[in-house]
Amino acid sequence: MNHLNKEKDIREDIAWAQINKDVLRSLEKPRPVYWVLFGLALSMFLVGVGCEIYQYQTGMGVANMNNPHMWGLYIATFIFWIGMSHSGTLLSAILHLMHADWRKPIYRFAEAMTTFSLMTAGLFVMVHLGRLWQFYYALPYPNERWTWPNFQSPLLWDAMAIFTYLTSSIIFLYIGAIPDFAICRDNAKGWRKNFYTILALGWMGTDRQWRNFRITYLTVACFLIPLAVSVHSIVASDFAMSQQPGWHVTSFPPYFVAGALYSGCAAIITLFIVLRYTFRFEEYMTMPILDKVARLTFAIAMVWTYLNLIEFASVWYGHDSYSKDLLIQKATGPYAPFWWTMIVCGSIVPFALAIKKFRSSLTIMFIVSLLLNLGMWLERWMIVAPTYSHGYYPWTWDHFQWPSFVQWGMVFGSFGWFGMLFMIFTKLVPSVSMYEVKEMVYHRTLANKESREA
Amino acid sequence: MSNINRRDFLKVLGWSSVAVAVAGCGKTSVESGVETVMSYSQPEDFLVPSIGVYYASTCTQCEANCGVTGRVREGRILKLEGNPESAINLGRLCGLGQAAVQHHYNPDRLKEPLLRQGGGLQPTTWENATALLAEKTGDLKGEQFAFLSGGLSGHLKVLVQNYVDSLGSKNLYFYEALTPAVNQSVSQKLYGTATPRFHLDKAQLIVSFGADFLDTWVSPVHFASQYTQFRKATIDKKRGTLVQIEPRMTLTGANADRWIPIIPGTEGVLALGLVNALLKGGIGVKSLPASVVSAVRAYDKERVNKEAGVSGEVFDKLVALLSERSPSLVLSGLSAEGHAHGAQNAAAIMLLNVVLGNVGKTIDAPTRLPFPQLAAEEGNSVALKRFNDSLAGDKFKVVFIYNANPVYTAPAFMKLRDNLKKSEFKVVFTHYLDETAQEADLVLPLDSALEDWGTHVAAYQPDSIELTMQQPLMEKLYPSGTRSLGDVMLDQLKHRRANEYKDFADYYAYLKSALTRNKGAFSGVSADDETFWNQALMHGVLKVKGQEQSISANVVNLDIAQPAPIGDDQYPFHLVPTVRSGFRDGRHANLPWLQETPDSLTTMVWDSWVEIHPKTAERMGIKEGDILEIASKNGSIKTQAYLFPGVQPDSVAIPLGQGHEAMGRYAKDVGVNPFKLLDPVFDKSTGELAMHATRVKVSRTGASVRVVKEEGWSPIVVNTQQGRKLVSTIAVDKANFSKEV
Amino acid sequence: MSTTYMLRDWTKLRETHPQPSPAGGHAEYKWAMAINLDVCTGCNACSVACYAENNLPVVGKEKYAHGQSMHWMRIERYWNEEDVETPHQGAQFLPMMCQQCEAAPCETVCPVGATNHTPDGLNSQVYNRCVGSRYCSANCPYKVRYFNWYDYPEQEMAWPDPLPMQLNPDLTVRSKGVMEKCTFCVQRLTAAKNTARNEGRTVKDGEVTTACAQACPTQAITFGNMVDPYSQVSEKWRHQQVELHKDVQDKDKSGDSGLRGYRVFEELRSYPSVMYLERVRDTKA
Ligand SMILES: Nc1nc2c(c(=O)[nH]1)N[C@H]1C(S)=C(S)[C@@H](COP(=O)(O)OP(=O)(O)OC[C@H]3O[C@@H](n4cnc5c(=O)[nH]c(N)nc54)[C@H](O)[C@@H]3O)O[C@H]1N2
Ligand code: SF4
Ligand code: SF4
Ligand code: SF4
Ligand code: SF4
Ligand code: SF4
Repeated sequence: MNHLNKEKDIREDIAWAQINKDVLRSLEKPRPVYWVLFGLALSMFLVGVGCEIYQYQTGMGVANMNNPHMWGLYIATFIFWIGMSHSGTLLSAILHLMHADWRKPIYRFAEAMTTFSLMTAGLFVMVHLGRLWQFYYALPYPNERWTWPNFQSPLLWDAMAIFTYLTSSIIFLYIGAIPDFAICRDNAKGWRKNFYTILALGWMGTDRQWRNFRITYLTVACFLIPLAVSVHSIVASDFAMSQQPGWHVTSFPPYFVAGALYSGCAAIITLFIVLRYTFRFEEYMTMPILDKVARLTFAIAMVWTYLNLIEFASVWYGHDSYSKDLLIQKATGPYAPFWWTMIVCGSIVPFALAIKKFRSSLTIMFIVSLLLNLGMWLERWMIVAPTYSHGYYPWTWDHFQWPSFVQWGMVFGSFGWFGMLFMIFTKLVPSVSMYEVKEMVYHRTLANKESREA
Repeated sequence: MSNINRRDFLKVLGWSSVAVAVAGCGKTSVESGVETVMSYSQPEDFLVPSIGVYYASTCTQCEANCGVTGRVREGRILKLEGNPESAINLGRLCGLGQAAVQHHYNPDRLKEPLLRQGGGLQPTTWENATALLAEKTGDLKGEQFAFLSGGLSGHLKVLVQNYVDSLGSKNLYFYEALTPAVNQSVSQKLYGTATPRFHLDKAQLIVSFGADFLDTWVSPVHFASQYTQFRKATIDKKRGTLVQIEPRMTLTGANADRWIPIIPGTEGVLALGLVNALLKGGIGVKSLPASVVSAVRAYDKERVNKEAGVSGEVFDKLVALLSERSPSLVLSGLSAEGHAHGAQNAAAIMLLNVVLGNVGKTIDAPTRLPFPQLAAEEGNSVALKRFNDSLAGDKFKVVFIYNANPVYTAPAFMKLRDNLKKSEFKVVFTHYLDETAQEADLVLPLDSALEDWGTHVAAYQPDSIELTMQQPLMEKLYPSGTRSLGDVMLDQLKHRRANEYKDFADYYAYLKSALTRNKGAFSGVSADDETFWNQALMHGVLKVKGQEQSISANVVNLDIAQPAPIGDDQYPFHLVPTVRSGFRDGRHANLPWLQETPDSLTTMVWDSWVEIHPKTAERMGIKEGDILEIASKNGSIKTQAYLFPGVQPDSVAIPLGQGHEAMGRYAKDVGVNPFKLLDPVFDKSTGELAMHATRVKVSRTGASVRVVKEEGWSPIVVNTQQGRKLVSTIAVDKANFSKEV
Repeated sequence: MSTTYMLRDWTKLRETHPQPSPAGGHAEYKWAMAINLDVCTGCNACSVACYAENNLPVVGKEKYAHGQSMHWMRIERYWNEEDVETPHQGAQFLPMMCQQCEAAPCETVCPVGATNHTPDGLNSQVYNRCVGSRYCSANCPYKVRYFNWYDYPEQEMAWPDPLPMQLNPDLTVRSKGVMEKCTFCVQRLTAAKNTARNEGRTVKDGEVTTACAQACPTQAITFGNMVDPYSQVSEKWRHQQVELHKDVQDKDKSGDSGLRGYRVFEELRSYPSVMYLERVRDTKA
């Protein structure tokens, strides 16, 4: 930690009781905008539900998919949400292991993002199935027919990886919140008291409890990191393991992981700004922290850009004419506007993050983070769709298949679903980790003392 | 098998017997005796549940009359396949033929007779209807009655003829819109036979002027099997080469080694140019009289280039091919004969066969049919013109129409719909409420081709003559609603000529008796009546003992003079009405399989379109899907543009068969009907309607749609293989056929 | 017990196909085709036959416009790249259906194992098992898999009464949400195999054929069993020197053999069971 840093990640003179008060307040009465946002999220979600009911009853055809466009926005958005889930793991697990203190006020909501975006991603796997009602055929359970799913299929690896990741991240989120639940318990009244009593698992804050807590938390964090890397590598395998031009790319796993961290970081910036405003968290979600997140995002954006260039180069200099055709098609064909928007949003816009002045403007940061997310969503769509429209078989080339309102509706709805879960979360779980902020304040005080002494 | 009594078979196998008892209260249809339950525990020995049994019959979807076998299971006809015993199709079947099951099960079939009452058509009973027929024709004068029928052969033709005779009428018209009538008349003059036999398999070279023999012309399935032999390289014969010359690429053209687009109507000029060049090269000089030799001198390469739009280079190649490859075969098709000078065109083309010495080698005389009364009346359009003229002159009080839809197929200039109204009592025998049936006073629904009995003698006989049997492949779907025309005719004849017909209980009995009485005319059949009959039904084919004939060419009175080309500034384009294999003259447009089957060349489905050459389109600023108005002097239609390289740049082509105003859910309001545009141009020699002589102008309407087609959708040209090895092509001199089996 | 079964099954999964033998290592049957493009006229009779035999639904104009048609056998028409303006050499037709790959890319990716290699060398499609993920189609290089985007039997276009009476009871009418594709008319093959088994023999050449091969007016399609070295299809493959288990044929390594046999996208190593014979054109014409 740079002690000479003028701007502080957090004020060291916040009283611990004040922290409790500020954070617990978010569980009670938020600004009215909370309800506006919640209502918005709920109605978006209902649009998605309506679309799914229609699709379920009528058939996948209403999504306007066809041969060859067998997959559409569902899979693209699925990857997007899986990518999004990497935010939490990055902030809480990776940065935890790296002892980056500044993560402390913001990792809790990032972890929640992980869980909820995985839950959103899972929905897309479901709505994508032609026979949703038979989804359990894909699960490995002993049955009287002696049939197993096909363990060779990357889609199955997907299902397992996501399920494991989701379970682990819920556990991680929960464990990390136990001390905070105890604080809630101690301050709550009525049903909330019972609720937090159960959640707090009898936390008393004894030394033994803290020791066990630290070990468990660290263990799960260590477990989560390879999981996060593997889950997106496996999602990448859905494509890389296939035989299609544009998909059969060796660099896809790291490329996907980089993309995931990238979109995760961008989403953290967005939600950081939203939460800071909605719950008056200015004291905790400070500008210096945002600055750090932005710099991290910039670094990841460059990694992503580099991996993109590697992919283009290997296609260009490779001998696979089908893939090359496809790459040219992406850059010049009907998808070109989207493809170039992706390039601009993904590789050019992040340069705004390199400029300090921009980093210190909430408005600019908000817009930039949305653009980055748009770019990342387009990236996923540009992986899925062009391979279908311009694959091996020219007879079936179809450059005009446009997703129907049902597909768009569900993409839209997924943001509602995510937003809704997140809003509910912020009302039930302290979205800033109180005990860690206290730790942070304590560390700063210590550090200040040390520097003063020095 | 041979001992099955077919009548019993139908009695037990009936649709009505597969009754399903309705659960719940009240009497079920079974209990009330409306339906009967047949127990599978004691099935007839020929009926095994779950085992398909095949019965032979004849395809009536087009004039080729291929042999079919129908797969019947649990009393239902499921699928039609080719009858290997028929020399016509040798066990193969085209898509149109297979789709006959969809006529049979068509949801829009008429299920009861309809009678015009108070302006509208109301259901009536067959008893009423037949009484009405007898009443209306009772004291009718012969000349006041007319019967318009589609192409017909066999015993039904005899019954219809006898019925018309019994009314003292001479007005039996056989009308078909798409028969090669002009060619046949020229053939008759030149070869002494209207329907010579072609041996495509023996030819080293086929030069076809618009004869779409692989898809829609004469006997396509038969020609397709000959084509396989033609293309095959064997020890004695090289792989045959096909050259196709036509204004719009047909499926045959699409399979040619060389496809040559030509300005419509100038086929004769090219043919005579070729004759001239061959004669100059010393080929066939002796085969022609001096008058013809001097007549063709006027046709040289330059004239061919100028008038027909065929380049000198292409012309020279063609001359070289014709000189080198022998025997060859030159065919004249619909696009060549459909002009005012159609007969001259066809004659000029056929003259090539004489010059090349093909007559007697690849062109042969057919076997003579010993009973001409059963021979096919293929029908033609002169019949329609005569029928219509008489209608216009208010000559007919009572009109019967069968197997034809003239209100749909007659060009607008004929005003047939109005003329038909002048007749007092119009009876239409049909399966659907089509455009003509809508105009009728009495609509009589017929049994489907798969429910009916019949005999057929195809006009084109590839081998010795076959009489093919048509038999029901299942019990009638609407036993009390539909009847066989044979039964109706017989019933009416019993009124008029009771003595002659009283012995025949029904059409079936009539057929059986007529055939068994003459079984001596067939080769290889049993002497016993029942055995003979069962054999006939089992095999579906009876080989007629016919007399072989020889062929010789007679060019003396052949009119080959070609008219000077006429331009038309106001109507700059030639209209090419193309025949689609699935729809033909439109009578099959209500078969969903065929609507959904992409047009082989454009891959369009479920609609009409106008084909325009990409260059022409570019010049006029037309893009695919633009709605164009195509106007002739006699009408106009609006349809979507399809940019098609296989059309001659001065021509536009519109497929026939769509644009129905009626005829059920699959046909109604789908596309447009180019029949309506046709100009009143007739072949001068035969009086046939010249189908390819209409001039049109093309204009954009400003509207545009996305065309519905099978080929890939891409703004770049996807209709090539994009350099991928999908259909690989090898030059004939590079190919090694020695290993092929 | 079910685990042992699974493990036993896995050992089978590890078996590679095709093995280096004319029939790819299949014991009794290896169904295959040879399609002669020089005589395929593009007439579509085969495609209609497939509709009739295999209960394929008609989807109607609107759904066709969306690319949701169901023709297992599709006839593709290409133009020569050199003369797109006036196709002097005619069109290029290709009857394309499931190539029944020996190492089918569609099989490995299916999450539920609904599409598998059968002992007869077919790529099976188990409708009951399919969950409709469409991954198989995504990975099929030939794009010959057709998905039931709608409940076609319930669609007004497909089978209004009494059209359902035409349906072939030997196979199902597929419902909404499952994948389907050409099966080489497996119901016919099964029936023929049963008959043969009851008579203590194997199916003879010519005893069974597919609906498309049967209808084809030019006999462009030859169908048969490659395990029988004297079947027509075996002879064709042998004479064309196309070997099932190779991704580059020996004859192509040693320059122009003039032999016409080839497989589409052979280099992708899907080892298709359909061999095409090149279209021929007379360059003098
Ligand atoms: N492997 C094995 N084989 C067996 C047996 C076994 O235990 N194991 N059991 C044997 C025994 S005991 C029996 S009884 C047989 C049963 O053999 P099947 O009779 O073949 O049995 P299901 O499949 O039950 O029914 C046959 C068909 O009848 C149709 N159906 C249902 N209701 C009606 C109706 O009202 N009308 C009509 N027309 N069709 C209807 C069903 O849809 C189904 O397609 O199987 C025998 N075979
Ligand atoms: S060619 Fe004509 S008769 Fe023969 S199967 Fe086709 S439609 Fe039927
Ligand atoms: S052609 Fe396609 S669907 Fe058929 S086996 Fe091969 S990969 Fe599978
Ligand atoms: S669509 Fe069906 S067969 Fe295809 S991969 Fe999915 S579950 Fe398997
Ligand atoms: S083999 Fe059978 S299923 Fe396959 S295309 Fe031919 S007819 Fe259809
Ligand atoms: S039926 Fe035969 S000739 Fe016709 S398209 Fe099919 S394979 Fe080609």
